[in-house]
Amino acid sequence: MNCFSELTYAIFVDGELAAEEARQVRSHLATCSRCRELVEALRAEHRVLNEVLRELPEELDDRAGLPWFRRPWVWDLAGLAVVLALGAAAWQWLDALRVPEMLEGFNPFSAAGRLNLFFNLAYYFGHGGTAVLVDYADTVGRISVLFLLGSGALRLGRRWRRHQLGLCLPIVLLALSLPGFALERRHSEFVTVAANETVDDTLVAAANTVRVDGVVNGDVLAFGRIVEVRGTVKGDLLSWAQRTEVSGTVEGHIYTFSQSFEVSGQVGHSIYAWVQTLHAGNKSHVGDGILAGAADITVEGEVTRSVTIFAGSTDVSGSIGRDLTVTGGDLMLANSARVGGNLTARVRRQKDVHIADGATIGGKRDIQMRVEKSRFVRPKFYFFQAVRLLAAMLVGWLGLVLFPGFFQGSAQAVASGWRSFGLGSALLVGVPVAIIVGAVTLVGIPVALMLLALYLTAIYLAKVWVGAFLGRILLKSATETTRDWLLALLVGLLIITVAGFIPYAGGLIRFGVVCLGLGAFAWQLYRTSRPATTAQHG
Amino acid sequence: MEDLELENVLQLARRHDVDALAELYRRYARRVFGLCRYMLGSTETAEDATSEVFLKLQRSIGTYDGSVPFPRWLLRVASNHCVDVLRRKQRERQVIVEAQEDAAPLDVAGPELSPLSEVISAQQQAAVRQAIARLPENYRVPIVLRYYSDLGYDEIARQLRVKRNHVAILLFRAKRELRQAIALRRE
Repeated sequence: MNCFSELTYAIFVDGELAAEEARQVRSHLATCSRCRELVEALRAEHRVLNEVLRELPEELDDRAGLPWFRRPWVWDLAGLAVVLALGAAAWQWLDALRVPEMLEGFNPFSAAGRLNLFFNLAYYFGHGGTAVLVDYADTVGRISVLFLLGSGALRLGRRWRRHQLGLCLPIVLLALSLPGFALERRHSEFVTVAANETVDDTLVAAANTVRVDGVVNGDVLAFGRIVEVRGTVKGDLLSWAQRTEVSGTVEGHIYTFSQSFEVSGQVGHSIYAWVQTLHAGNKSHVGDGILAGAADITVEGEVTRSVTIFAGSTDVSGSIGRDLTVTGGDLMLANSARVGGNLTARVRRQKDVHIADGATIGGKRDIQMRVEKSRFVRPKFYFFQAVRLLAAMLVGWLGLVLFPGFFQGSAQAVASGWRSFGLGSALLVGVPVAIIVGAVTLVGIPVALMLLALYLTAIYLAKVWVGAFLGRILLKSATETTRDWLLALLVGLLIITVAGFIPYAGGLIRFGVVCLGLGAFAWQLYRTSRPATTAQHG
Repeated sequence: MEDLELENVLQLARRHDVDALAELYRRYARRVFGLCRYMLGSTETAEDATSEVFLKLQRSIGTYDGSVPFPRWLLRVASNHCVDVLRRKQRERQVIVEAQEDAAPLDVAGPELSPLSEVISAQQQAAVRQAIARLPENYRVPIVLRYYSDLGYDEIARQLRVKRNHVAILLFRAKRELRQAIALRRE
């Protein structure tokens, strides 16, 4: 008879062989001394294992005995070094990269690109969001009227019994219902006030294109991609648009928040603009002054009073009645430029200022270089860092008190390292896309806003979790008391804050912290949303 | 409480008697900790796991029906918990990779005795413990479940979610690894 395999004997010794096979094994053992010896050895092994395992293993402090390349932290460190090196190289490359001017608008690392992105985003939000707002105001107005009528009838029924609450309620409701009547609301793809049309109310318009060819006797509040005033607005113009153009007359002020803003008509009072480009054409006339923040500003027309500008580049060839104050990059005054009052400029370099010989300046010229003092020598810097640290500590403490399990779990999830990092960086990129997609579809706007809030909160909290995790590792605190946790958080946050200011690497470190924290948060969210898997057996 | 028979302690514990539960902890914590220590590989996680097992015990003691001795039942619960912990650590993946039956042919053993069967001295025992603790998870967990928790193949297969045959193969390979480790040490 053939001998059985060692595996079969091992199962036999464990008492797990099927009865029939076990019988065969036993009868074979009776005849084969070689196999008997083997089975005896296996039984002895069994006894040794049982016996040996009765004691606990001695602490494995000789892990250091592993060859260096098998130690897990060596690999982590190597991975980190590679990421840092690649990141630094990419950073240098991006920094040195000359983006063609035409594509500058798409480059998220340039001011123009960021503004472009911002305005496009703002447009999507503004467009959809205000449509909801307008409908909402309408609904609230109508419901308020119904309540007003209903409560009025009840009041009459009770013969005007004087009751404080009873009197207040209709007043509040009346106030709420008023906007529903006082405003003229228009909302469609294309909103136009025709040339022969006169609107006597304030006009609120949200559309792809809002155009005023006729006369609006009140104010105009316009949200759209393109807002054009070719006719007359007797009140103020408030616009939030990708492009705002005024070729007609605005008798009041203009408040605008646009990507590009163009005036070639008449403005009765001032212009307040936060835009990417502002162009006041040579036929434009501004009754008061201009206060603007922009990437590029060109003033070719006439401004009666002062102009105050924060801009990347300023180009003046028109006439300014009083002072011109510029803070920013380039300043160019053409031959035809005229400044009635003082010229005050704060620029980086002297050579960025070009004042043509023919330019007239009535008052003093005051051109100063802005010397960039290192932020580390300003006491304010330390004060703000301390405040931020305190705020983060407070948030950490609140989180720990309110959601202890979740907060500690998130901090612990940071330990998974690359998983958190990968998940976090994917979310960092993916969530804004989801937000935009959500916002473009009208129904998704509330969801998009909530997602945005959650996203920003998580980005803020990332440093808290990573800090807590880091601190716990460094302090080797195994206990779970709130005090230990907070101490660990303080240590971790301090390290992250200081590390964040290391030149070049600091940005990458902060990026890494955000990715890690975001990933850990998402992972913890996923884990807590899942039903518990630890089922009981036995 | 200390002199009470286990049966009585269990009866009290089933009624959520705090002293009885504390007594169970006193009697079995070390044994459970040992299991967790072997299974999870670090004292810290083993301590956490031990306290979680006893927390669970408060809830699940009602399901103990006396069909197996209590220590064995408790170790089964603890093993289950440890496998859960490992599984969580492994990002929900299979803790134990299924052994391929045909991956390496299993020889008929020669007559030479296993170095493991001659382990007698305390020093040698310590060496074996170290070797077990250093085994990869794939081998360490089945060995510990079999020889510490005294679980049968069926129970091990269920906990690790592998086939029964593979439990036998895993144990077999694990022991072979151990023998090699011990033999290497002696050389």
